Amino acid sequence: MARESAIPRFGHKPQVAFFDFACCEGCQLSVLQLEERLLEILEHVDVVTWREAMTEQSSEYDIAFCEGSITTEEDVERIKDIRAEAAVLVTLGSCASTSCHNELKNQWSMDEVLDVVYGDDAGQIHTIASRPISAVVEVDYQTFGCPVSLPEFVKVVSAILTGQSYEPPNEPVCVECKRNDYLCVYEKGEVCLGPVTRCGCDAICTGWGDACQGCRGLMDSANIGAMLKALTREEAHSIMRTVIDRHQLTEGEIAAKLRIYNNWPEFTLEEAETDDD
Amino acid sequence: MPTEVVMTSKAVDRFVTRLIEEGPVMGPRERRKQPGFAKFDWIESADELMLQYTTTTVPPKKAFFPPRQPLFEFELTVPPKITPLEEATPFTLVGVHTCDLAGLNMLDDAYAKEPAEAVWPAARARARIIGVDCMPDEYCFCFDTCAGREGCDLFFTPIEHGYLVEVITEAGEDMLRLSDVSRAREDDLNDARNFAAEKGQRITAGIRSSAGDFADILEEGTFEDLWREIAERCYSCGSCNTTCPTCFCFDINDEFDLGLTAGRRVRTWDSCQLQEFALVAGGHNFRRIRWQRVRHRWHRKFLYLYREFDHPYCTGCGRCSRACTADINIVDVSNEIIERARGSEQS
Ligand code: SF4
Ligand code: SF4
Ligand code: SF4
Ligand code: SF4
Ligand code: SF4
Repeated sequence: MARESAIPRFGHKPQVAFFDFACCEGCQLSVLQLEERLLEILEHVDVVTWREAMTEQSSEYDIAFCEGSITTEEDVERIKDIRAEAAVLVTLGSCASTSCHNELKNQWSMDEVLDVVYGDDAGQIHTIASRPISAVVEVDYQTFGCPVSLPEFVKVVSAILTGQSYEPPNEPVCVECKRNDYLCVYEKGEVCLGPVTRCGCDAICTGWGDACQGCRGLMDSANIGAMLKALTREEAHSIMRTVIDRHQLTEGEIAAKLRIYNNWPEFTLEEAETDDD
Repeated sequence: MPTEVVMTSKAVDRFVTRLIEEGPVMGPRERRKQPGFAKFDWIESADELMLQYTTTTVPPKKAFFPPRQPLFEFELTVPPKITPLEEATPFTLVGVHTCDLAGLNMLDDAYAKEPAEAVWPAARARARIIGVDCMPDEYCFCFDTCAGREGCDLFFTPIEHGYLVEVITEAGEDMLRLSDVSRAREDDLNDARNFAAEKGQRITAGIRSSAGDFADILEEGTFEDLWREIAERCYSCGSCNTTCPTCFCFDINDEFDLGLTAGRRVRTWDSCQLQEFALVAGGHNFRRIRWQRVRHRWHRKFLYLYREFDHPYCTGCGRCSRACTADINIVDVSNEIIERARGSEQS
């Protein structure tokens, strides 16, 4: 029985806290949906702060799971405090790891944003461009997904407990889609962002027959230029011919689709032309 | 024992039902949420089998080597305890197209090369295989494999009232005891011949050079410009490999349970198009640049393995082209290479 193997790393059963920044809190809710798996995790850790699941709170913890994007000056101070306390800081889900769709606000000036959302009450709010947590403090582990991909969450917890690192997969969703023998949604005439999106969700959406919307963010060296070309080609064989003709997307529309989850740092179509060499 | 008999469609149903009673059966089954599309899967009842289907996304090699295959479980006790996860149940694989029979045979050869792979031949030995003939679509270019029978025990060709069944092996003959068959009449044989002829005519795509010449062309030319053009369109998503019936690369990982006290060793299908495929210890990646990976796929299929096995490692199934959401078509690219090579010869 070496069931308490995480103890040597922390010297005691590690204490875990959950924090949220700008987000919908869907990732925390997803973690609660782990049910049995969560009980298994709780054998190895003590949760001391989790607003969404309990009333107790503690200012001492070893592992901080942080959800949401940094969008105010207060957020910046708060995440720095958390970083100072936590031995291990984990970003939970895409808002925390890529800024997710919170960065959509970055296309306007912060004054405009404040005015539209809060009008006359804007005075107390010190809004800043939305950014992932890693843009402010050092992050030890990252998890992606909107909401967070549960297979990845479990992997990361296991890595933390066993003192291993976790490198987010740098392969597109297509890899998991094929390993599950799912039908490619392009064969049904739809557009999918899977070929440029970082896998790790086990292709959950394409498994249900839906297109990948790219919620886990672009993989490293995602070939966006390839997507612009693939969806606007003159000549194409029947599967892609059907997709191109049905959607008739312009480069701008393709870029807009990609921007929904990928605008930090802002990407430009010029950049998209570069190869990975 | 005649080598050709007839099984009516109803008789096929009864036959498959009896096969299922005998043991597990894998075959093309219609996707539940995507009617019209088949995938290889375990068949629970005869009506699930979709014997006439267009090429599946993933080839039937998954019956012997699933995309994600746990090899053994371990417990980190002293000494460590290892529990092999070997399957021993015999099964029947039904509804394999000719190109995919060729794919299985090629993997037999590849995995038999020393140091031989151990899991594949054991899985192959457990299975009886029933082939079925098919109608090509615009992506198929199976000239060399389209009439093959090697690798199956029985082979079905659609005819008016069911199937003409060719008995290929003794195991196939033995399977016929589970079925009601009748003697093949001249009409039936004619039907089958017509089917084969139509199949031949429907194959419109093709690589415009002999396999040997194509290997020489790839060896002698560099084609870097072309590889770079293709690479600009390539996602490095690996779908051209993860759907290929002759691709044999895999990755092996140990997955630990939460407490780091136990886990399992798992192997998964890998792809040379993925950026980290050629990443080795120390951080060196010997095919870091996309165009080098694109070139590598052609070199593997049509040059290196051609030299080693005397035929290209490609069955003409067209899966890589269908699966490529960048529409990088294996026939088009191959012909472009051949054209550029011939063009530069003339100039
Ligand atoms: S990543 Fe998605 S689910 Fe999670 S907090 Fe952000 S918006 Fe909500
Ligand atoms: S459905 Fe999407 S993720 Fe799956 S293979 Fe097709 S493009 Fe890739
Ligand atoms: S398939 Fe795409 S949209 Fe769905 S969870 Fe995965 S990354 Fe997100
Ligand atoms: S399927 Fe197409 S885009 Fe994906 S790696 Fe292969 S050639 Fe490139
Ligand atoms: S290379 Fe393409 S056409 Fe050839 S066997 Fe593989 S998937 Fe089929």
